[in-house]
Amino acid sequence: MNSNNYKYKKLENRMNKRAQVAIFVIIALAIVAIFVLIIFLRDGGITNNTSEGLSPQRYLSDCISPSLRENMEIILKQGGYSNVEGFLEYNGDKYKYLCYTNENYIPCIVQQPLLKEQFEKELNSLLRAKSGECVNSLKEEYESRGYDVNMNGINTEFLIVPEGIKYSVNGELSAKKGDETSVFNGFDVEIESQVYDLILTGISIIDFESTYGDSETTLYMQYYPDLKIEKIRLSEGSKIYRVTNVITNETLSFATRSLVFPPGYGLE
Amino acid sequence: MKREIGILVLVFIFVFSTAFVSAETNATVCCEKTKSGLYCQNVAEDQCATSNSAPTACESTSYCRPGVCYNSNEGTCLDNTPEVVCNNNNGIWSKDQPAACDLGCCILGDQAAFVSLTRCKYLSSTLGLNTNYNKNIKDEVSCVLSVSNQDKGACVFDYEFQRTCKFTTREQCKIGFNNTGVAGQFFKDKLCSAPELETNCAPSKKTSCAPGKDEVYFVDTCGNIANIYDASKINDQEYWSNLKTKDESCNPNSPNANSKACGNCNYLGGSYCRPSDETEANYGDYICQDLNCKDTQNGNDYKHGESWCVYNDEGENDVGSNAVGSQFFKHICVNGEEILETCADFRQQECVEDKIEYTGGTFSQAACRVNRWQDCTAQDNQRDCENEDRRDCLWEGSMQNINGTKGTCIPKNSPGLKFWQGEEAKDVCGQANYQCVVTFEKGLTGGEKCVKNCECLSSEWRKSRIAFCEALGDCGAKVNWIGAEGYKQGYNFTIGKK
Repeated sequence: MNSNNYKYKKLENRMNKRAQVAIFVIIALAIVAIFVLIIFLRDGGITNNTSEGLSPQRYLSDCISPSLRENMEIILKQGGYSNVEGFLEYNGDKYKYLCYTNENYIPCIVQQPLLKEQFEKELNSLLRAKSGECVNSLKEEYESRGYDVNMNGINTEFLIVPEGIKYSVNGELSAKKGDETSVFNGFDVEIESQVYDLILTGISIIDFESTYGDSETTLYMQYYPDLKIEKIRLSEGSKIYRVTNVITNETLSFATRSLVFPPGYGLE
Repeated sequence: MKREIGILVLVFIFVFSTAFVSAETNATVCCEKTKSGLYCQNVAEDQCATSNSAPTACESTSYCRPGVCYNSNEGTCLDNTPEVVCNNNNGIWSKDQPAACDLGCCILGDQAAFVSLTRCKYLSSTLGLNTNYNKNIKDEVSCVLSVSNQDKGACVFDYEFQRTCKFTTREQCKIGFNNTGVAGQFFKDKLCSAPELETNCAPSKKTSCAPGKDEVYFVDTCGNIANIYDASKINDQEYWSNLKTKDESCNPNSPNANSKACGNCNYLGGSYCRPSDETEANYGDYICQDLNCKDTQNGNDYKHGESWCVYNDEGENDVGSNAVGSQFFKHICVNGEEILETCADFRQQECVEDKIEYTGGTFSQAACRVNRWQDCTAQDNQRDCENEDRRDCLWEGSMQNINGTKGTCIPKNSPGLKFWQGEEAKDVCGQANYQCVVTFEKGLTGGEKCVKNCECLSSEWRKSRIAFCEALGDCGAKVNWIGAEGYKQGYNFTIGKK
């Protein structure tokens, strides 16, 4: 056997083995990269949870939740409005007329058909300053931990969705410390709430009031076990509705005046 | 020979004090917005906040005409909405119902909703399901029935390099989840925790409530709903492998209210899955909570969802003698709490109640409905008077009507009146005013003999007139709802002679 040939073959085998190892390394790196990308996409664009366990979602949720709940309570009490006009005053509280007619014997005229959007508008307006504060405070928190923070086009939005209130943080925020970089490309914080269902029940009541002049609250409570609906009728024909989720204790209150039968023959 | 010597004139006058209020009548206009912040109201011109007003009814104006307001985000439609109100809130207004408001059947896993297509897409996306919409189903009952007999079971699929599982319907398994379009392998009546499926889902000690279900359910480690919670089956491999019906689960004939070991709740029996509060379950944080009401105001027990009428003011209802200021109340049992709803003031509504018989007892249902008293006194026969399809009146055969003849029709529940203001109460009560001419004949040897309308002299006649007066409304000698008498007599009998 030719020794040169043997050496050449040995060298060729070694080269092939090295090539195989290189291919395996490339494949392994590709798998790791795909895995990291999946995690990146699944976590809403957050590449690194940063050291010292700072979760931006939890931080923002903790920061905004108390104000959100406080303001939500106010607007729930006034039918979706912070500065309410066109209201009924009863025991010192203002109840927004969501359906109203000043006349007798006719069904009411809808005053707010897009109630959910009205709630969102109010929340975004009331919590704009607080939301900015929370984002800035998150930035400061990073800086206090020695990060260089860069914010680009950050804006926030509140959306009422089934089972909660979605607090969407859009824009780019990057935090860098040495080799460690955290990049946020927008993410959502969901705060538990049953307001969506309360609003939809409210819209359904308004639909009945504007079509038939009244609504049957018992049926709602039979179909939806978590709901409690109180209806208070006042002598001039107005009704106050209080729609409560018995689990979360959130209450939507509003007023209507529809299909009123005045005392006597109503000739005066 | 008979000689008429005198006529005794008996006049029954109802005296009623009223305050005169002059009402200045202004021509009304349709205001786009009133000073109080209300849209599209027919009010006096000086009440308008905006310049947009027209001397016509709001229905006839271009800005306030009512129509359908479509919410394109939610896919909901609301009728009787003025154009300006809809447009101001970024809704899409149309005079007639747009095609987007047409309803169809939206299948959401093992549940269904009869909604518009846009709403179906929205609901499906929030639940992480692909849209499954059938516009050919035209009513809600058929829609609900279409999902009631669906095959359910374990849907096994690969996700992120793992063999996992979701408990769902065959249909949903075929469509896939989260818009991936990747179908799974379906195993009818199997639970995701079944060992033979070899998924990453295993039994756990957690429980949960399930949307649209009464019972407490076991939950596997993947978060799938398993069988009904039964503490004795926590380690039973068979119970964690195969789907069991309600009847095959623990105590199927009992509501299992507040049971620590069995989560087979029954909503119609008065129990429902809720987070445990006072009573803690053996496993998990949920329990069948007792929703029924015990020892209510009238001393009876009621089931959750039952409603009943209460009239506990002075006076009697349904016999035309309601007290001034009295009112009907509807009581409702909700989640173990008794809440009350007032029917309309001035007894313009009355409470009606009926009971549904079923094998386990009765279920009471009540409602406030309009008191149709207005044309009672215009009825001159018992059949028309007691026609319950048209009115709520009572025939009193012995009572004189407004013309003085026997047999009168009165409101079953006399209406309340604003007797302290305006003229109307006077007009309503004035229907009881009556002049009875009694004729006497003088005898040849002296003395007088009553010959005509002699009954008007009797105390029974007087009582009957008072009762008729009181039946018309808040008229006559009534007491108020707490039994206090008025400051005046409420009626007057005057006797004159011609």
